Amino acid sequence: MYNLLRMDLYRVRKSKSVYICFGILLAATAAIFGLIWLMAVPKGQELSIRAGMLTAAEAAEFADILKGMDTLGMFRQTCLDGGSYNLIFGVWVMLFVCSDFQSGFIKNVMALCQNRWNYVGSKIMTAGIVDFCYLILHLLFTLLANRLFGNMVPYADLGDYVFYLSWAWLVTTAFAALVILICVLSRSVAAGAIGTVLFSSGIIVQMLYTLMNTFHMGNWLKYSIYLTLAMGPGEYTAWKDLHVYAVGAGFLILYSAVTGVILRRQDI
Amino acid sequence: MPAAGECRKGEKEAVRTGRENTFAIETAALTKMYRNKAAVKNVDLKVREGEIYGFIGRNGAGKSTTLKMLCGLASPTGGEIQLFGGPVSDPAVRRRLGVLIEAAGLYPNMTARQNVEMKARCMGLTDERSANDVLRLTGMQDTGRKKVKRFSMGMKQRLGVALALLGNPDMLILDEPLNGLDPEGIRELRQLVLKLHEEGKTILVSSHILGELSKIATNYGIIKDGELIEQITREELEERCQDYFQIQVQDVRRAFALVQEAFPDVEAEVSDDRSIRLYGVKDGAELNQMLVENQVAVYASGFHRMDLEEYFLDRMEGGRRYV
Repeated sequence: MYNLLRMDLYRVRKSKSVYICFGILLAATAAIFGLIWLMAVPKGQELSIRAGMLTAAEAAEFADILKGMDTLGMFRQTCLDGGSYNLIFGVWVMLFVCSDFQSGFIKNVMALCQNRWNYVGSKIMTAGIVDFCYLILHLLFTLLANRLFGNMVPYADLGDYVFYLSWAWLVTTAFAALVILICVLSRSVAAGAIGTVLFSSGIIVQMLYTLMNTFHMGNWLKYSIYLTLAMGPGEYTAWKDLHVYAVGAGFLILYSAVTGVILRRQDI
Repeated sequence: MPAAGECRKGEKEAVRTGRENTFAIETAALTKMYRNKAAVKNVDLKVREGEIYGFIGRNGAGKSTTLKMLCGLASPTGGEIQLFGGPVSDPAVRRRLGVLIEAAGLYPNMTARQNVEMKARCMGLTDERSANDVLRLTGMQDTGRKKVKRFSMGMKQRLGVALALLGNPDMLILDEPLNGLDPEGIRELRQLVLKLHEEGKTILVSSHILGELSKIATNYGIIKDGELIEQITREELEERCQDYFQIQVQDVRRAFALVQEAFPDVEAEVSDDRSIRLYGVKDGAELNQMLVENQVAVYASGFHRMDLEEYFLDRMEGGRRYV
């Protein structure tokens, strides 16, 4: 598996998609910071009112939107809570895995490595490494953007950053495992893209919620990847906050195992 | 006491004979079912070390499925596969195998070198020399920063062979490597295969371009509807392809009677009002002489030989004479 991981990391470094997806993520964050500055920060509001983008009444209304928010909250709001991080990261994972099948390179790999669990393990580890880099660099960019826009919100505690990033990394890696599962099952970029969009946007969770709620089981979905990311704790207060790790690890193991079984049963 | 040169020759011969007696590929009752349909049925394929084995069959006959099973890309439903005496699942055995199945699996947005380095990493090869060697061997060392998506079909196929050659495998499995190549590309690949064979590699190659295959293969296997119907050597094929001796004469009836009388073992048939086909003739000159001596004018005569394509089609149709 170590050799496969080396190969995958080499491809990550040489491919453009990883940089393009990260660029989109940063661009979206920068745009959101700009909009918030224009809407909620007095200097920006002045500019917006002069440009006719806001009325004085609207400006007064928006003045409070950053109340109680810190940089960690901003980081979550800009990308993770709404699912846009999962969408962009999921698209990268989908492109990364599907290109193995589309190019046919997987034949070169599988002719060498009979153990298909190694392939699954390597892909998930690669996704986990890229996910880790994305999250850390994205957080640093958020902190930088906050600084550049005049410290719109205060900094959170270091412990909160560590707690949040650790479970968010586990849950988003579990999401990557789901995307890998879809790609291995379908071997199609189109199916992978549709699956990524449906799962990252929460459409599937909402549909399931409607269905399960008729049996009074809708609350179970708070343990889904989508809702865990949206509603998971931003700081550690009690041991029950640790359930997010269980959600991440549980889905990661489940999706990895299913992917491994599918790959073992399928011919290449 | 024999001279040193003779000794070395003897050793070489012994090594060669030893290699020829060991199988690079040996399958027993290899079967692959897709639902209830058998794509490959009880195939007993035997490829000796050092051979260029031409694997022939129509589209959908089961060639690619067989080759995929040999490479571990598809699981057999039944039967056994032994590669160099070991199971396919043995990593040491798999490292002795280089494969190019159907299209060369290449990343289009990477260069030739990057594709090779990717596979080198997958194999755990760390030195750059391996990549340089295979790129040089396949003539791909000067492609520079050109992306694979801008390569011609021939370049892609050569790069596919380069990937297969990484790690210096003892055997190459090439599935339709000539597909889509222009005549120059075909010639280059043929020369490469022959060069690799000279280096001692065993090569299993499937192709529809039978004329080309016949220029390189030392052995053949014909698969029809999932069943391996024949395995023959080049020599056996040449013998079998010596089809009939045809004569064009002025008086067919008289010539026919004379041949039957003079050569009772020869099977003769009149193909048109001037031609007679004679099966089992060893010496055409003797037959011509006999006809001339009996005042039968012979306009033309000669042996007809089937080429591999005709032989293959003949076998596919059930065979005129060989089944």
